[in-house]
Amino acid sequence: MMSTKPPAGGENMMEIDITKLNLQQLSQLKQRLEQELQMYQNSLQSLKVAQTRYQNSKESIEKITPDCNGKDILVPLTGSVSFIYLFACIYVPGKIADANSVVIDIGTGYYVQKDLESAKDYMKRRVGFVTEQMEKIQAMGQEKSMIKDAVMEVMERKIQQEIALQKAALARATGSGKT
Amino acid sequence: MAEELQKKLQQEVENFQALQKQYQKTLSVRQQLGGQLFETETVKSELDLVKKDQEVYKLIGPVLIKQDLEEALQNVNKRMDYIKGELKRIDDTITDMEKKQDTQRDLLNKLQQQYQKAQLSAGGKN
Repeated sequence: MMSTKPPAGGENMMEIDITKLNLQQLSQLKQRLEQELQMYQNSLQSLKVAQTRYQNSKESIEKITPDCNGKDILVPLTGSVSFIYLFACIYVPGKIADANSVVIDIGTGYYVQKDLESAKDYMKRRVGFVTEQMEKIQAMGQEKSMIKDAVMEVMERKIQQEIALQKAALARATGSGKT
Repeated sequence: MAEELQKKLQQEVENFQALQKQYQKTLSVRQQLGGQLFETETVKSELDLVKKDQEVYKLIGPVLIKQDLEEALQNVNKRMDYIKGELKRIDDTITDMEKKQDTQRDLLNKLQQQYQKAQLSAGGKN
């Protein structure tokens, strides 16, 4: 007797019932979600690079031992400090003066001289931090891709409905034409 | 009538697109500032951990200049305040631009409706 009303919007104002959106809105939503997922992928990649770099630095530090003092080394004059691969690097011979301290770039042009132990600590902290960020982004990405799947499912259903409606209309039109 | 409306509509669509472009640009500037603030914050937390016997240097051009820890901290704090100010300023611009975009969108919708109506009535006459 009485048509049942659709349940009023969710308790959360931000919640949107995706089944109530039309196809155009859904495809817009899907596009946005895809963009966001792409962004997460890019961030993950840069974080991965950063992680490897800190890890490499840490391993380099671990190779330095007190008996490196006074050992001969080749100091690169060009390039290699900035991780840019050049065709040729110029090296000059040198000796390690103090194997117990290194200088670390901590960002925005500041460098700190640290002993090996605290340098290793620094690298460990950085790797830990970057890993934490990566985990966060991964979780966020998973959530987004779940939403994307749901949106795509609803879209699929809507498209099927539309096709069925069109078929029915067509059948009706041809059917009425015959009689 | 319909032609005039079409011209106007086109003009407004172009305006809207220009607004959107500007908005995107401002957003990317904001992102950059956010990144800088984050980097500065990390530097500060790292400087906070520096012990008295550890030296602090600042890269100026190709050379490292030895810096007083206190001075370095002060400079970093100053930089952080500056970036925060800039962020606030740009956030205001962003909300302002969002408002502008909304009014432009409303205007576009109105024009579109008018245009459709004009077309309909023109079609009716034929």
